[in-house]
Amino acid sequence: MPEGILCNKKTVDTKEYLDALLADRRGTKYYEEMKNLDVDKEKLKASLKATCKSRFRTWLELCSHCALCGDTCFLYLANKRDPTQVPSYKIQSTLGRIVKRNGDVDNAFMRYCMDVAWSKCTCCNRCGSFCPYGIDMGVMFGYLRGLCFSQGFVPWELKIGSGMHRIYRAQMDVTTEDWVETCKWMEDEQQDEWPGLTIPVDKEGADIMYTCNAREPKHYPADIAEAAILFHIAGENWTVPSEGWEQTSLSMFAGDWGACKMMVETVYAAIERLKPKRVLGTECGHAHRATVIEGPYWVGRKDGRPPVPYLHYTEWVAEALRTGKIKIDPAKRIKERVTLQDSCNYIRNYGLKDITREIMSYLVEPGYFVEMTPNKEHNFCCGGGGGFNGVGIYREQRNVGLKVKRDQILATGAKLVIAPCHNCWDAIRDLAEVNHMDIRWSFLKPLLIKMAIVPEHLKPKEE
Amino acid sequence: MYQFITGPLLWLSFAVLVVGLIVRTVIYIRGLNWQIDRVAYGAHMGLGLRGAIRSIIHWLVPFWSVGWRAKPLFTIIFFVFHIGLVVTPLFLIGHAVIIKERFGLGWPTIPMGLADALTIGVMCAVAFIVIRRIALPEVRIVTTLYDYLLLLISVAPFLTGFMTVHQAPGHQVWLYAHILSGELMLIAIPFTKLYHVVGFFLSRGQIGMDFGIKRDFKGNGFAW
Repeated sequence: MPEGILCNKKTVDTKEYLDALLADRRGTKYYEEMKNLDVDKEKLKASLKATCKSRFRTWLELCSHCALCGDTCFLYLANKRDPTQVPSYKIQSTLGRIVKRNGDVDNAFMRYCMDVAWSKCTCCNRCGSFCPYGIDMGVMFGYLRGLCFSQGFVPWELKIGSGMHRIYRAQMDVTTEDWVETCKWMEDEQQDEWPGLTIPVDKEGADIMYTCNAREPKHYPADIAEAAILFHIAGENWTVPSEGWEQTSLSMFAGDWGACKMMVETVYAAIERLKPKRVLGTECGHAHRATVIEGPYWVGRKDGRPPVPYLHYTEWVAEALRTGKIKIDPAKRIKERVTLQDSCNYIRNYGLKDITREIMSYLVEPGYFVEMTPNKEHNFCCGGGGGFNGVGIYREQRNVGLKVKRDQILATGAKLVIAPCHNCWDAIRDLAEVNHMDIRWSFLKPLLIKMAIVPEHLKPKEE
Repeated sequence: MYQFITGPLLWLSFAVLVVGLIVRTVIYIRGLNWQIDRVAYGAHMGLGLRGAIRSIIHWLVPFWSVGWRAKPLFTIIFFVFHIGLVVTPLFLIGHAVIIKERFGLGWPTIPMGLADALTIGVMCAVAFIVIRRIALPEVRIVTTLYDYLLLLISVAPFLTGFMTVHQAPGHQVWLYAHILSGELMLIAIPFTKLYHVVGFFLSRGQIGMDFGIKRDFKGNGFAW
């Protein structure tokens, strides 16, 4: 059977197809069909010709098989130094082989590639920073995911996720109406405690346009309220777009480059429409990577930058604290041992390491902040990046991978982990649960709200 | 025979080396694509060059990069191997004499004792690398016969050169073997992984540009 009904090379562009995938519990039928999915060798060959250029070919060829990358990979360490987890082995035995055979590979091999691409690499790019040649296997695995996706070999959840983006322009089925209503709801709900608080939708020319992660309106609307409260305290002139508010990209995890482009175009269209001075994204790592770091390239912006300055949430927080827009009550500063999770996507891959430390200097009483080892751009992935958190068939492998972060956290002796990234936050929650750890984890927003000094004029009037 | 292998064949080897490396460099650079690589090379050349230079220097100097510091023994062996490979043939008195005879050019040289030490260093390093490839499971799994062949090509001129200089029995055989294996290495460079003599700079430069332009332009530069 060349193409399955659920598992095939088609992208998910209709609600019917999406619903059919969702109805297939745990993707049982989907993965069954995958076993018989044909490889379109000509298409694979053509893709290689068009997109596998000198950088990848040189990386694959130059690799001197020194295996220095082994120890740099948290999955290698977490799996008791299993040689098949050495990054160079993982990429040479997958993409390397596809390139060598110029696309002449079979179904079983493509399923092997899928397993490696999604359960043995989170595209955290740590190995690349330790390779003497600078061979970035995370980047190559991203590319391999694209090849796998185009052939239909992609985990069920991510096929659905990329379909969500194609249909709803959001990683979950949140429509424009749902989003705007959620904003209104959160605005109304805060009036007792925060009179006059607004969540302005589609305001033109604001100083800040705020974008977030669809799971916030879907599952954690309080997160939107928290963002609004902090803008309210800081006195920001801000807005959210009714369309183009979703910043994340499960399509990036899936390797569905077409959907990636659609997503970024939607956000950039909101920027063109509302003309904000700056855009600010929520506490999410991959959303920043998708929309700010890689996004400009997907939509063909030659300068590699978004249309206006696009900040990560930590950048705004640091600025608000630095300029005194938000003042921290010294009595409420954190006075317990606390550590910080460096998200690969905006620390290693965007250079915000000093910004996050600056925030810690405001929030934590001196002497209580403990760094993980290693940290900053050399930090380990949380264990849940690159879509790993969300793929059911790889849950066991994901849980094994969490061990490295668990040990890093335990070594700090901290009971509180600040994790300004949705995926890291989830991974730390899960590793605490799996290992019965007595720790707490938090985004920045709730901590800031607890600690900020509320200006008198914003406090509710006593009746 | 001697005339041929130190004359036309030597010239041919150098020609293959130089032309080969130029062609490969041109192909590499032409194959870079800002949109596919997702690095805006052209739009931020300044940031890019700064990133490239930082990236190259950090890895060219022993123990300057975090990666080198993570593996001290490997790093020492690595630099003993590479310094010996580059310095010995370039500044050996025996080679300088030939340059003087042929072109009348004065050429800087190193003392024979140092040359011997470097040569022995190269040979020991190769032995270490071979043992490492066999002993460590994570290295063994990625090692192929090709890797050993490259080590053989690299070490052969040193072993034969050492025997020649120290007047081992069968001097002429060692001398010819030395010249031919040296030429084989020169010819092999553009066609094998040994291409990294320029490929290292291209690849490190590229990843440096990537971080300089796109991934770490907000910070003080990536802490390699």
